[in-house]
Formats: sequence, C-alpha cells, structure tokens
Amino acid sequence: MRRLLYIFSLSLSVLSATAQDDVFDLLDEESESTQYTYATFKGTKLLNGQTNETPGQGVLQYIISHRFGSFTDEYLYNFFGLDNAHIRMQLDYGFSDRLNMGIGRSSVLKTSDAFIKYRALRQKTGANPFPFSLTLYSALNYRGARYTDGIDHNTSDRLSYHHQAVFARKFDERLSLILAPSVVHWNLVPGPEDPNDTYHLLIGGRYKLNKRIALTGEYAFSSNRRYGSGATEEQFHNPLSIGVDIETGGHVFQFHLSNTRAMSDPLWMAQNPYSAADGSLFLGFNISRVFTVTQ
Amino acid sequence: MKKLLLTALLISSNFLSAQQYLTREARLDFDAGSPLEDIEAFTESGSAVYDANTGKIGVQVLMTSFQFKRALMQEHFNENYVESEKFPKASFKGLYSEGNVSGGLTIHGVTKEIKVPARLNQENGNFVLVTSFDITLADYDVKIPSAVANKISKKASIQVHATLKKISK
Repeated sequence: MRRLLYIFSLSLSVLSATAQDDVFDLLDEESESTQYTYATFKGTKLLNGQTNETPGQGVLQYIISHRFGSFTDEYLYNFFGLDNAHIRMQLDYGFSDRLNMGIGRSSVLKTSDAFIKYRALRQKTGANPFPFSLTLYSALNYRGARYTDGIDHNTSDRLSYHHQAVFARKFDERLSLILAPSVVHWNLVPGPEDPNDTYHLLIGGRYKLNKRIALTGEYAFSSNRRYGSGATEEQFHNPLSIGVDIETGGHVFQFHLSNTRAMSDPLWMAQNPYSAADGSLFLGFNISRVFTVTQ
Repeated sequence: MKKLLLTALLISSNFLSAQQYLTREARLDFDAGSPLEDIEAFTESGSAVYDANTGKIGVQVLMTSFQFKRALMQEHFNENYVESEKFPKASFKGLYSEGNVSGGLTIHGVTKEIKVPARLNQENGNFVLVTSFDITLADYDVKIPSAVANKISKKASIQVHATLKKISK
C-alpha cells in the first residue's frame, strides 16, 4: 500500500511537472534581446545645447531659431522683445543612424558654422545593458562680421571651435538628463591674458508632462571667462534657459526663456554678456522639421 | 506491474513534452496605413510556440523590434501609440483547431478574445504557421489624435509567418 502511494505521488509529481511545463512559458524564456533606448529627447537640440539625439539615417532636418529682444526692457513698447529678433538657420542630414552633419548661419556677428555629431555609445537594456548614451559633437564657427579695430583679420582669426561630449540618460519615460563637458577654443582673443580655451560643463534635462509636451532646462558652468582686456569684473555670465518642447508629428517646437541671445556655440556658451539676475531675459524658439529623403 | 506503470508514466510525460515546437524568428508584418500615408512595419524576431498534444499556440513580440521605413515613425509608434516602455510586448495565447486559432490577443496592455483563420501545416518535421487578420486599434486603447486621424487606419492588418522547430530535450 505504501509503495502504491509512493508510486501514486510520484506519478502525480510527474504529471504536475508536465503541467507546469506549459508551452506558453517558453515564450517568456526568450533570451532578452538588446533594446536600444529611444527618444531620450524629442529634438537634436535641447535649448541652445545639443542632446544625444541625431536624425535617423536618410533624414534631412531644418531648424529655424529666433532669439528676441529683452523681455523686461520697456516690455510693452518693445512687445516683450518680439520686435527685435536674432535668427539662426540650420540644415543637417543623418548619414547613418549615428552620424549627423550640418551647417548653420546666425545673424549675431554674421556667424556661419558647420558641425559633425556622432553617437558613440547608446543606452540600452536587455542582455547587454548600458546605462547611458554618449554623443560627440564638434562645431566650427566662422565670424563673417567686419572687425572695427582697423586690422585686416584673416580667416584663421575669424574661426572658433566648440567640442562637446554629451552624456545622456533616459531615467524613465518622463525624465532624461544631460551632462556635457565642453571646450571652446578661440583662435583670436582680445588680449594676452585672455585664454584661448575655456571649459564648460553643461547640465540639462527634460521632464515630459504628457506624450507631446515636455519641460526643458539647461545651464552651463564655466571654468574661466576673462575675456576683454582690462576688464575689472566678470563680463560674461553663465547661460541659463528654461523652456517647453511641443511635438506635433514631423515638427518639434521649442519655446524658451533664457539669458542668451547668440546662437553659435562659442558665443552663447563662453561669451554671454547678459545676466538673468539683472533682468536680461529673452524669449526664443527653435522649430525643427524633418524630411525623410531616402527610403 | 507497478514499475511498468511508472515507466509508462515517465515515458508518456517525456513524450508529451517532446511535442513542443518553437521559433524565435517569427516574421510579423503590420499595416495601419491609409491612402495618405504608408504605415508599415515588420519584425523577424517574434517568438512562436505550439504544443501538438494540447493544441496550445502562442506568439509573442517585442514592440520595439518592429522596423519602420522612417525613424521618426518608429519613434512615434513606440512612444505615442503603443507605449512600448509601459507595454513592451504584444502576445497571443490560445488554441489551434481546425483551421482557426482562438484565444487572447494582448496589445498595449489590453487583452481581447479573438478567433481568426490560420494555417498550421507540418512541413519536414516543422510546423509552419501562417495567419492574417485585422484588429481595430480602438479595441486595444491605442489612441489616434484627431489631427492625424485621416492618415492612420482605424484598423491594422497583421500577418504572421513562422516556422516552428521541434524542441529537442
């Protein structure tokens, strides 16, 4: 009897083992494939700075940006600064899902620029997780505006550079943050005591309110900014911007309030003359439109 | 006799579990396009299982594995429509019998009972599953903003093609 019971219990356990061996369990046993994190940010630019994002392969992007006049200076007479705009236009192309190159032109000091952006590392989950994305960005800027010092400046004098490593992490579907160490190099500086290189650390992020609207912000610390011979006090101020991203299909609208007006990288990051504390605040926007030009 | 019974039980249980078929390379296509916009995507990394003894059949796919022609469309699909971060997988779990599959289809976290025609043929020791059916996006709580309502079909057609191989244990 005991033996029979033993066999019975054994057969039960075998049966239950078979029952547990449900074919549907095999679906979830899937060795988790690597998934790249998508849409860390809506746009390739955060406000003035870069995000880790690039347009996909075969995507042509056009960005038009405006920075208006002072928000606080005679605000009704100047219609909150909207009467007086600086402009930048950018055209760029995704040569692959990682490589992006483009050109731009901004009205402040008639600056032309060209940039290259490369997604070196991508945040991913799954079998081989990686906690953050790293995108490398380099821009070359050419000052087209005439100098007023009476010297005939050659091309080399007119060039400045901005190199940046954009570390980004999407923490969840709402929150993404950026940390971007940057260096700005000027071929020509006003005086011998002024550094040709300045170092900056940009912090920024976005918080999505819903599927299409996000709050954004950025701020850049600067290591040294003793530009301007004979200056006795700080001439330049750290850039601070807050804004809102609105996405509507192929467009991203970015509206913001900041203490910067210039849009070429070395100017807004290293030589921003406006102080938010003094009430110098400007409205601005970036609007991007993408076109898929290859299939 | 008892030993024989035990052996028979063990063998039969082995036999039972040996009738399972699996693939991790199922192809799924879907089309939610309209005359105004092509919205098509495919993946070749779906999972499909079939138990020839019980008739149980299942298909599962990671939403982010769907490839679109346009990067932005793929991003919108995952971020705005199927919300892949919240609902990473779509699955079907049901039964096959006599040219039909019936069971629960889960998309966007919503499960609906469906019954659709399907072919399940044995070829060279494998099972080949082919099915094609339409779903109504609203049934699965996939919201389409009114601004793009005429670009996106209210129904999506889904095609599955999978060659399931016998699991050797």
